[in-house]
Amino acid sequence: MSKTESIIDIQNVSKFFGQLRALDDVSLQIGAGQKYVIIGPSGSGKSTLLRSINRLEDIDQGRILVDGKDIMDPKNNINRIRMELGMVFQNFNLFPHKTVLDNLTMAPIKLKGLSKKDAEKIGMELLHKVGIQDKADVYPTMLSGGQQQRVAIARALAMNPKIMLFDEPTSALDPEMIGEVLDVMVALAKEGMTMVVVTHEMGFAREVADQIVFMDHGKILEQGTPGHFFESPEHPRLRQFLEQIL
Amino acid sequence: MKAHKNVKIDIGDGAAIPHHKDRGLFNAWWISLIGAVTIIFCLIILKPDPYLDILKFLPDGVVVTFQVTILSILGALVLGLFTGLGRISRIRPINLLASTYVEVVRGIPLLVQLFYIYFALGQLFRELPETNAVFIFLKNMPPLVAAVTAMSICYGAYMGEVFRAGIESIDKGQTEAARSLGFNRSQTMRFVVLPQAWRTILPPVGNEFIALLKDSSLVSILAVADLLRRGREFASVSFDYFEAYTMVALVYLLITLILSKGVSIMESRLNYYVQD
Repeated sequence: MSKTESIIDIQNVSKFFGQLRALDDVSLQIGAGQKYVIIGPSGSGKSTLLRSINRLEDIDQGRILVDGKDIMDPKNNINRIRMELGMVFQNFNLFPHKTVLDNLTMAPIKLKGLSKKDAEKIGMELLHKVGIQDKADVYPTMLSGGQQQRVAIARALAMNPKIMLFDEPTSALDPEMIGEVLDVMVALAKEGMTMVVVTHEMGFAREVADQIVFMDHGKILEQGTPGHFFESPEHPRLRQFLEQIL
Repeated sequence: MKAHKNVKIDIGDGAAIPHHKDRGLFNAWWISLIGAVTIIFCLIILKPDPYLDILKFLPDGVVVTFQVTILSILGALVLGLFTGLGRISRIRPINLLASTYVEVVRGIPLLVQLFYIYFALGQLFRELPETNAVFIFLKNMPPLVAAVTAMSICYGAYMGEVFRAGIESIDKGQTEAARSLGFNRSQTMRFVVLPQAWRTILPPVGNEFIALLKDSSLVSILAVADLLRRGREFASVSFDYFEAYTMVALVYLLITLILSKGVSIMESRLNYYVQD
């Protein structure tokens, strides 16, 4: 794929935490509408890479272009760029002092100038979509983990982003709640959303991913289609990793 | 979910807060309250002269004490918010300014600060020309203004630490979630962090209020007619020092006991609310 087509363009990115090289000359191009799943052992740099895309981590070397805009360039307003990048966290990070619906409407009202009525209409539609419309008026702490994560996805979608980033969205969930969150993500993928997902859910990767990226020690060691990945993995570290988790 | 860490901030020297599990009639708070009320009643019934006269003389002072306390706590809250934000600021000069303010104020006794603003700065202000309203006001600075200013500055520093601790008690994930939606730093602070930090901050603010109320007795030295000053005025006329100061002490005790109960009720309500 040529660089002009990619909506996320990561070029030779490195990131250091003190002496540790969290990202080591990583390059990755992601086209609009594509689903990328990043896997790897803990400490491999996969979350750091994801968090670099919306600049929750500042990179030390290289460039990241989102929709053609260099995110480290001070001339580009990072807050505007972030509105195009929905993010879902491992620990949900819902706002506990706001009701479920207010969690969804706060950003569109304050940042996009939507009226409360319009924002709530969109919010209710999204809650319908993730299947928790009847919880609109409760506070997040009253919800189960799976419900909270679905609200978190809806909250990110409420800003109508072009890209969704998922940082281990099911890792903090009880096993019986993982399915309900993955269902929402699969549905989102089918609608054509561009998605970058850091996860350990291999079933999801196999079903949804256009490309799977395997990272270890801050480097991308292998990249390919799910077929290639699960049938004929090449790198010995990847084979070892897949044996451990499958 | 660790959005709320249930952090208690123990800063300052507020009144002793009864532990909320410390129920029943025989805890220190009830003993103190019932004791104080009983003594006051016995005294005014058994010896209305001078105790009843003293009790009638003091309410004006209670009003002034609350005036000074409420005005000062409001000033301290505003100063404290900015100081707390300054202390966590990434901008080095602002951070240094806030930290230095806290360091300096905490290093000077409140009584010295009161003297400094009223007498030391007062002397300088008297040299000012009467060219505009501000100068004229400063030249004749009322003691109440000096008192509230000094107490606000002093308690603003302590309050800054309360705000800082409250803000830092909010999970980093909250900030990240807000930033990833597109909120800038100040919007994140206003809409997400401070509304949550407020719950952590309220109980220690209540304690600071009680501490401030007690410290406000220092302003009687500037001829502000607060509770202590009223007691002193009564005594200096009637020479009933023992009786006047006994009553003053009992009234202070009564006020702080009631306020500290209020704070502990508020604290347990907030804790309940914050439960994960």
